Amino acid sequence: MTPLTAFNLCALALFCMGLYGVLARKNLIAMLIGVELMLNAASLNALAWGRYGLVDPAHAAVSGQILVLFIIGLAAAEAAIALAIILAVHRHRHSVDVDDLDTLEG
Amino acid sequence: MVLDTPTLTRLALAALAAPLCAFAIAGLALRSRPRAAAALVIASGALTALATLAILALADAPIQQVWTWLRVGDTDLGFGVLLDPRSRLMGAVVGVITLLVQIYSTGYMAHDPGRTRFFALLALFEWAMLGFAYAPDLLQAFIFWELVGLASFFLIGFWYDRPEAIAAAKKAFIMTRVGDVAMLIGLVLLFALAGTLDIRESLDRLHSLLQGHGITSLQVEVAAALLFVGVVGKSAQFPLHTWLPDAMAGPTPVSALLHSATMVAAGVFLFARFEELFLLAPLTRSAALLLTAFTALLAALLASVQVDIKRVWAWSSISQLGTMLAGLAAGGLSSGLFHLTTHAAFKALLFLSAGALIHHYGTQDLRALGRAGARRDRLTMLGLLVGAAALAGIPGFAGFASKEAVLTAVHDVPGRAAATGFALLVIGAGFTAYYVGRVAFLLLRPTAAEPHEPTPPDAHGHPPTTAMSASILTLTLITLALAFAGPLVASLLGQPLPELALAHAVPGIAAVALGLAVAVFDFGRKSSAPPLFERVPALHGLLLRGFYVDAIYQRVFVGAARLCARALHFAETRLLDPAADGLARLTLAMGEGTARGQSGQLQRYIGVAALLLACVALWLGFAE
Amino acid sequence: MSAVTLILMVIALLGALVAVSVRDIVHAIFGLAGALLALAALFTTLGSPLVGAMEVLIYVGGISVAMIFAVMLSPHVGRDLRETPARRLGAALIASLLFAGAALAVLSGPAVPDTPEAAGAFDPALVGHALLGDWLLAFEVLSVVLLLAIMGAVIIATREPPAPADAAPAAEEARP
Repeated sequence: MTPLTAFNLCALALFCMGLYGVLARKNLIAMLIGVELMLNAASLNALAWGRYGLVDPAHAAVSGQILVLFIIGLAAAEAAIALAIILAVHRHRHSVDVDDLDTLEG
Repeated sequence: MVLDTPTLTRLALAALAAPLCAFAIAGLALRSRPRAAAALVIASGALTALATLAILALADAPIQQVWTWLRVGDTDLGFGVLLDPRSRLMGAVVGVITLLVQIYSTGYMAHDPGRTRFFALLALFEWAMLGFAYAPDLLQAFIFWELVGLASFFLIGFWYDRPEAIAAAKKAFIMTRVGDVAMLIGLVLLFALAGTLDIRESLDRLHSLLQGHGITSLQVEVAAALLFVGVVGKSAQFPLHTWLPDAMAGPTPVSALLHSATMVAAGVFLFARFEELFLLAPLTRSAALLLTAFTALLAALLASVQVDIKRVWAWSSISQLGTMLAGLAAGGLSSGLFHLTTHAAFKALLFLSAGALIHHYGTQDLRALGRAGARRDRLTMLGLLVGAAALAGIPGFAGFASKEAVLTAVHDVPGRAAATGFALLVIGAGFTAYYVGRVAFLLLRPTAAEPHEPTPPDAHGHPPTTAMSASILTLTLITLALAFAGPLVASLLGQPLPELALAHAVPGIAAVALGLAVAVFDFGRKSSAPPLFERVPALHGLLLRGFYVDAIYQRVFVGAARLCARALHFAETRLLDPAADGLARLTLAMGEGTARGQSGQLQRYIGVAALLLACVALWLGFAE
Repeated sequence: MSAVTLILMVIALLGALVAVSVRDIVHAIFGLAGALLALAALFTTLGSPLVGAMEVLIYVGGISVAMIFAVMLSPHVGRDLRETPARRLGAALIASLLFAGAALAVLSGPAVPDTPEAAGAFDPALVGHALLGDWLLAFEVLSVVLLLAIMGAVIIATREPPAPADAAPAAEEARP
């Protein structure tokens, strides 16, 4: 098993755990945790590919790092807004249960 | 004295306008004032009667005045008046009879809540019939022809809360419509052949076209036959005759009008109006002669067993209309129209007298009327007997002269068809005398009630009012006078009545005498022997049911229509409705199914998306 | 691949497992923080100390702390909501199906040849130059996004809930 494959599988496992968290947990904060894990799995994958995967390592490495930096930046914004929304929902509905947020029901 | 053309035209227009205005004003403005409505309608009727009489008496050359109200291509659609001898005679008959019936109705309908409507409709009826009589134009004739049918529909169904009246009105409307469809086709064909809507011009053109071989005689035959079908429907000839006996469900004055001067007379007048066309179509003429003579006999037979006085007169109308049409078909224009005139008078008289009796004694059953003392209403009975004598064709009365004229006209036509028709008419005349005698004796010499006969209701009616008596008396006098009007009518129409040769008159007179004798034998003596037809119960039953013609129509046409309706109902309720419902239900179910997927549960959406992603990943994994 | 890398991977996975499975939200956040720290170390072993540092700064130091603050603002926010086993099982099924499929694709895919580490490729200075050179536009856009996110978060979090129309008079009546 090459290091790249190992990193890929690790990232995949992290991603699937995050997905599990998003799907299984009812608490909105717990779901947010799952989302963060998925984002970091993607970051890990990008770095691994940048390190091991490509023909032109100089550019590839920098590209992977920059991609991850952007991911982190966006994740910060996402987390801020998500937490604000969770707090607003809690204040309006007195609940952080995602099952209660079903106004879109057809 | 002879009036000039503009004056006559104005008179004709006034005669047409008066009833229409009366109808509109009485029907719209005087709903709550029946006396005023009746007065207005009678005033208009009097005006019309005077105008039509003046037109009849004070004109010589035919006048035709047409105003074009629409021009389609090269064809003018006109409205106007045609005052030739035929329409002048017909107009006068309509005007006088309608006036008398209107006067009579003030007494007969005095207590009916709907009498405003009644008088308004009488005016409408008169207007329609007069418009038809004076029509110079095929289209105008057809319009007024249909208006006549419409007005009679309203009047037959006047008591719209009685189911039998509704049924009778519908029957009259629908059965005459059968003839009208054929007639409309005939009129269109006539228009196509002649190329003009003007009646007299079209007949002239037809004549010259036929001589110049521009059209074949078959085309003329077809057009004539189609028009004759219209006549059959309107004048209640076999096989479209069953509506007329039922039409007596309307008020008796309506029957009087319907059976004499209007409606059924329209058919006869149509035949007379297109006499020239029928003269060009010998085949149709022979067929018409046979059919109408057969109808005359058949209806006379049926009239002989009825116990309802109005039904007797109704069947007798059909029989007499057959006689008139036979005369016209034989080419005897003046005999046919003379019989139309006398029949209008005496049939109106018969119905009005019968109405007076019904009004007084509250029953229509001949035997019950007799037992209730109908003979004590002397004036009414006098009128009824004069009318009956005229109907029977007793020498010296109106019916005798006109009927003999018809018989002679038929006899003068060579050929086997005419001979058969003559025989049928003579036998019919015999039965006519028989049933007339039967009615007279049943009324004058009442028999003891048989246990199964219905007892008449308590007499709560009124003896005839002055207006009713006056009408009856006037009509009696007119009927008596018309016996001598034959030569006048003949000179008016320009065709002399056939010579009354003894050889031709003998069979007719003998048949009448024989019929009367049998009637005297059956009903004129104190005897318990059953009358002629009751001795053969099977025949009696057959006659009472009108040879099952109605039953057959019911089975065949109504049954077929019902079958169609049921099939369509089945198709609609079992096939179309479920299909439409199913489509709607399917759409609804699809919508609901889709909506169920939209649970609003965020994680379910993500789950489905992730599952799809997993599937794609698995597929990629296995595909490598 | 060194043993350190493997150990770090195991730590990250364990932390993630804790983060998604324990009932207590605060514990879950600590699990997340552990996993993120391990990931930051992994980033460093992958030759990106700058990214590792950023990971620690922003994720562990920023986002995790913000989550803990959110949980501590109200006792209800961090409440355990007791998912049914069926729910967890269904989620696990979907997640493992995805894992199985993707792992299969990764393992059976064409092997990528291992490239030697380029000299100076992971110098933070290079990253800085790239960020303010080739990627300048994205960098600036991201800065605007962050600014807007902060403003949006403030607006969303501070807006008062609309009072129900019938609640106010009822409350006044209830008052003695």
